[in-house]
Amino acid sequence: MQHALILIGVLIAGMGLSVEAGLLGPLGEQVGHLSATLSIFMVGALLLSLALVFTPNRQLGTLFKQPRWLLTGGILGPVYVIVLTLATPLVGVGMTMVGILCGQVAASVAIDHFGWLGSEQRRVDGYRVGALAMILAALWLM
Amino acid sequence: MLLPFIFLILLAGGAVLAAQSSINGRLGAKTGVIESAWLTFIMGAVLTFLLMFFFEPAHEATLFSVPKWQLTGALFGVVYMLAIVFAVPRVGTAAATVAVISGQLLMSLLIDHFGWLDNTVRPLDGSRYLAMVLLIGAIGLIYLSHQQRHRRMVNQPG
Repeated sequence: MQHALILIGVLIAGMGLSVEAGLLGPLGEQVGHLSATLSIFMVGALLLSLALVFTPNRQLGTLFKQPRWLLTGGILGPVYVIVLTLATPLVGVGMTMVGILCGQVAASVAIDHFGWLGSEQRRVDGYRVGALAMILAALWLM
Repeated sequence: MLLPFIFLILLAGGAVLAAQSSINGRLGAKTGVIESAWLTFIMGAVLTFLLMFFFEPAHEATLFSVPKWQLTGALFGVVYMLAIVFAVPRVGTAAATVAVISGQLLMSLLIDHFGWLDNTVRPLDGSRYLAMVLLIGAIGLIYLSHQQRHRRMVNQPG
């Protein structure tokens, strides 16, 4: 049951991401895509800095005791934005999103299946293949 | 000839997103959800600032001159990052990714249908309704996959 609640929460967060994209696209046209992206990261970083101050039992020190590759998450976000910015004018938004989503879903299943990046192994089963097929079909229908 | 190359880059871009979820989830499990999300946004801000500083061509409008509501995207980005860091260690990268994508696609259908955020109205038609049903079905299947796995683990401990 708890699992279902988490999935619904993530689904709602994903809906927010579409709103973000809807705001970011026009903003990027006006002020430049890198500036628009900067506004997201900058405002986010400032808000979370505030949140951090009021977080009980925060463990900031442990961040820098982790293996360095675990700290690279923040570098990957801008990489994605650059790919998006370069590809969209060349192949269009539709094709861009299909390519990104295919890569995203395939990689996420592979990461779970092989237990890459230190994640717990979750093997591909019939249900997961079915879910993949349904996402691809939905993409094609849109 | 350029097209397959671009598609490969796009696939890699998507894979990078999945890797980011996984890495952040792992970091969050070790240090804390807020800590992990904070570091991600700080690093992103630093890197994007450097890129903007050196590579962004000049535009007439700036972040300070556009209407303020256009700058609220970060609120959604922060909620998303917190949700991902919390969810990935608990449900796995694939389940979290499928849920995020379904949410994104469902919302983009709604935005199109109602023309929210100054977008052109593109009403839902038959094939888009079907797409919505498929997305909800995909979430259901990922949930079932987890239930099945849970049952196996209970039946065969170790």
